[in-house]
Amino acid sequence: MKVLVTAKRVVDHNVRVRVRPDGSGVDTASVKMSMNPFDEIAVEAAVRLREAGQADEVVVVSIGEKAVTDVIRTALALGADRGIHVDTDAELQPPAVSRALAELAVRETPDLILMGKQAIDDDSNQTAQMLAGRLGWGQGTFACGIEPADGEVIVAREVDGGTRRVALRLPAVVTADLRLNEPRYVKLPDIMKAKRKPLEAMSLADLGVAGDAGLTLLGVSEPPGREPGVRVADAAELAARLRDEAQVI
Amino acid sequence: MTAYFAPVRELRFVIEELIGLDRVAALPGLEEATPDVVEAVLEEAARLAGEVWSPLNRSGDEAGCRLDETGVHAPAGFREAYQAFVEGGWNGIAADPDWGGQGLPELLACATQEVWNSANMALALCPLLTAGAVLALERHGSDSLKQRFLAPLVSGEWPGTMNLTEPQAGSDLSAINTRAVPEGDHYRITGQKLFITWGDHDMTENIVHLVLARTPDAEAGNRGISMFLVPHRFVDDAGRPGERNDVRCVALEHKLGIHASPTCLLSFGDDGGAVGYLVGEPGRGLHQMFTMMNEARHKVGVQAVGVCERAYQQARDYARERVQGRRPGGSRPAAIIHHPDVRRMLMTMRAGTEAMRALGMLAAAEMDVARRAPDNGDAAAAERRVALLTPLIKGTATELGHELTSLGVQVHGGMGYVEETGAAQYLRDARITTIYEGTTGIQAQDFTLRRVLRDGGETLSAVLDEAEADAAALAERDALAVEGKALRAALDGLRRSTVHLLEHGGEAALAGATPYLMQAGFVLGGWQMGRAAVLADRALEADTPERAFYEAKRATAVFYMRHFLPRADAFGHGVTDDNGATLFLAEEQF
Amino acid sequence: MSILLIAEHDGRTLGEASRRAASAARQLGEGYDVLVIGGPGCVGVADAAAGLDGAVQVLLCEDDAYADDLAEPVAERIATLVRDGGYDGVVAAGTSTGKDVMPRVAGLLDVAMVSDAVAVENGRTFIRPIYAGNALARVRCEDVVRVVTVRTSAFDSVAEADTAAPCERLSAGDHPPLSRFVDESLSAGDGPDLANARVVISGGRGLGGAEAFDMLRELAAELGAAVGASRAAVDAGYIANDCQVGQTGKIVAPELYLAVGISGAIQHLAGMKDSRVIAAINRDEEAPIFQVADYALVGDLFEAVPQLLDALRTRQ
Repeated sequence: MKVLVTAKRVVDHNVRVRVRPDGSGVDTASVKMSMNPFDEIAVEAAVRLREAGQADEVVVVSIGEKAVTDVIRTALALGADRGIHVDTDAELQPPAVSRALAELAVRETPDLILMGKQAIDDDSNQTAQMLAGRLGWGQGTFACGIEPADGEVIVAREVDGGTRRVALRLPAVVTADLRLNEPRYVKLPDIMKAKRKPLEAMSLADLGVAGDAGLTLLGVSEPPGREPGVRVADAAELAARLRDEAQVI
Repeated sequence: MTAYFAPVRELRFVIEELIGLDRVAALPGLEEATPDVVEAVLEEAARLAGEVWSPLNRSGDEAGCRLDETGVHAPAGFREAYQAFVEGGWNGIAADPDWGGQGLPELLACATQEVWNSANMALALCPLLTAGAVLALERHGSDSLKQRFLAPLVSGEWPGTMNLTEPQAGSDLSAINTRAVPEGDHYRITGQKLFITWGDHDMTENIVHLVLARTPDAEAGNRGISMFLVPHRFVDDAGRPGERNDVRCVALEHKLGIHASPTCLLSFGDDGGAVGYLVGEPGRGLHQMFTMMNEARHKVGVQAVGVCERAYQQARDYARERVQGRRPGGSRPAAIIHHPDVRRMLMTMRAGTEAMRALGMLAAAEMDVARRAPDNGDAAAAERRVALLTPLIKGTATELGHELTSLGVQVHGGMGYVEETGAAQYLRDARITTIYEGTTGIQAQDFTLRRVLRDGGETLSAVLDEAEADAAALAERDALAVEGKALRAALDGLRRSTVHLLEHGGEAALAGATPYLMQAGFVLGGWQMGRAAVLADRALEADTPERAFYEAKRATAVFYMRHFLPRADAFGHGVTDDNGATLFLAEEQF
Repeated sequence: MSILLIAEHDGRTLGEASRRAASAARQLGEGYDVLVIGGPGCVGVADAAAGLDGAVQVLLCEDDAYADDLAEPVAERIATLVRDGGYDGVVAAGTSTGKDVMPRVAGLLDVAMVSDAVAVENGRTFIRPIYAGNALARVRCEDVVRVVTVRTSAFDSVAEADTAAPCERLSAGDHPPLSRFVDESLSAGDGPDLANARVVISGGRGLGGAEAFDMLRELAAELGAAVGASRAAVDAGYIANDCQVGQTGKIVAPELYLAVGISGAIQHLAGMKDSRVIAAINRDEEAPIFQVADYALVGDLFEAVPQLLDALRTRQ
């Protein structure tokens, strides 16, 4: 089985983002960037399939400017076999990303595409489903378990109120949720090995994909702050205020 | 205790721009140390340190270590955290690939050491000592000893310890009286060793002790001391640890800080003698031990930088959160970071930490050159610089470590004195760094007598020539002319102190040694800060996209020049103008 | 403009989430049609949908193919309906089903999508949170068809209509067998689900152990609340990890969020700060949780929680 796994470079989850004063976006200059944490879980899942002998090749792809090769190298250090960098300076939205990935899927013919359930920058949670729709493949979103079976993959999905398992005919697209696994720490020797693994570069145009304009960002603002709260003396006062003032109990 | 985030951008600046990765990566065997590798290595070390090591810092401090009949138990989580470090290949970062190391530059290793020490100083002590054992065995051990012990030491699978101190033999090791009696291919070791860091624990299957002891017919004093390797557990032919050797921890010290690091009283030979193997030549033990001692001294300096960084981060985060009083001229309550005096404390912490970090990394880069330069002259010059800088960093960075972690407590006000915030732990932990691996007084003596006066000030003078050129470059920057002049004046002051000591020598030199060491540390720290300011100023001139970073870099350097260099000058007066005051009183007048 | 609202249901009842999503649908256009798609036996859901204020008509599409909420057939049927029916907007609640299905619909229609809208400014302009709610983006949808999921906590439920909308049955599509349902395990807990609970009571590391969570469960039972936890409590093994509230866990916005022994790390705040009312009990008056709390009780939680329970019981 061949696995294609995607990795997006995003503002590190520990960074407290600041909205630019002109409201044009959030400040990403000289901010620490990392692999999207959900993508890291997807990479880990792919590597575990490879280690268990259920996958024989793991290819990692990232789309964006030159700097995204950092996250590809990280994925290679985590155990992916080779990387593909789709080079573009444009800030793509999920439709264009899914178009590019669909084109790559046609070329690479993976049996399984593993992705993070969403990127923690735009929080869209769209690309994988769009991709699966375009390809006409089955989709297993929000996976907390992946078991390949005969020509299928059984995916345990996190849904409101519990988990539900679906069997997907291969090829299929699966997105990783938080509890799918705990990604390993990169080992120092693997950082060195990752340098020697193949990394192919292509442009977005090579894939015949243009940018997209489905959504126009009109502005970004700070979320409204909360009014200052009141300090209550004891539990009785808290109960009274919650009931009489806030009317929530 | 706040979360720890390794200052990766800052470390990359020091490695790549300030010290110059090009120079190090050009050395034979270090070709792989490219900027992308440096970044990836630092990011991954930062992650393990921040997510696994750092959360255990406070719980380890609270729990401490425990000794029972089976031996010493490290605090909860330490075994797993250490194993993650070993499995990640971090222990052998700069070690020889022939023994399983990664062969990366000391310069990069030094940065990662800082990160481990920031995250968890007590745990970081374990690999700190192992590194020394690797070096001693690599340089002095027989092939058969290397075959059996070097690979697991390099990987960290079996950590190493240094066994020097005895109750009557502290700073003066010639008084050692642990015995080593030959028996076939090995020796039987008997005696007690004091203050053995990580001397026993349950984090690993085995421990490799390097022990100084006397053979029966050895002469008295230093030349009668030999070095022995004593495995905590016997190792079979397949390299598996089995039965325990005749060595056990009989007591744990109750200390001011580093509670999670067991400081052991080790007893060798209670049941007839621990089996030990001679390392190197008989009678050369002390000399050989100094190989690892010097490395360890440098690492303790770096350790102090690590603790300062952590204390700074904690103080900064607290100052941003804690609302108290108003801004000058303001009417609304403000976070204390807006108060000028809190700013002063944070800037002092930041500037002092950055200066000492740069000096430590400079010495690490010189180690790379000393080890690998194809030209013998270059290697020898670098070796002399390492020898000069080592006591300087050990002495100054640790003294500042005490001062800056104390400021960290001060920023917290009353809460700093309460253990809950974690600020007090850094102060307690940092306190040992001015003491172990040779007190500041010992460093000052080593620096003054052996590293400066012995060669007539030549090595130092060459460094100062370079620093003067850099001061001139600093003075040429429009925005930094005043700082350039201040640095030049401070360099001149250091030369004056040096000349004074060369002319006076003797007891005067010993009385002035520590002020001289501190002056030199502050001035050379200023040299590196001056260079950083020039680099930052150029980056800003070239309209770098990382404006905030370089502005902060330049501003911190300016603060250093204006607040630390005058202190260097004050130390200089302690050297040149003492006029016998230090030694005037007779003993009975105290 | 014609809008299609996708009903959220379990085969028997119309979800509260749909009533809230209907508010968003009303703001998108004059009226909206409601699609009830599912397995056979959804008539009751369709009847309920017909009573949503503003609903023009209900479209009921019942077939075994749709019984298991599989995204592939459901999305395909929706996409076909949108094309055939000439809809220029599709709205669904941002539930796990909506999040699964709607982007696939957008992919099939080859249009962009707006996820998790918290406000509808006009027919094309939406506000949606990004960076875990640390910023709000204002976006305009340029495509012919607007596909939108909404964060239901940001919208009120629509009222009950005076007259029921007419209902029309739709035929099922012919869908390739891309996936099949295997089984499911829904949480057996008596209390409400964390993501949808009206009241959430969360515990942090201040609880000191798994036992103390029993105290919170008792309180939760009294209030009909769900129990959540901070990452620190989950990491310390006090409680199962599916209870984690925060940036990397569940994002909740209940009517009342009571944080007990939680200091309020940024990543936790990201998961609950949109709650309508926040109350916090913590020993440390400097705890960041108090910066977002409407009601702050500084004190020992081991005293305060039992007292709170008493206070609630004696007043009822």
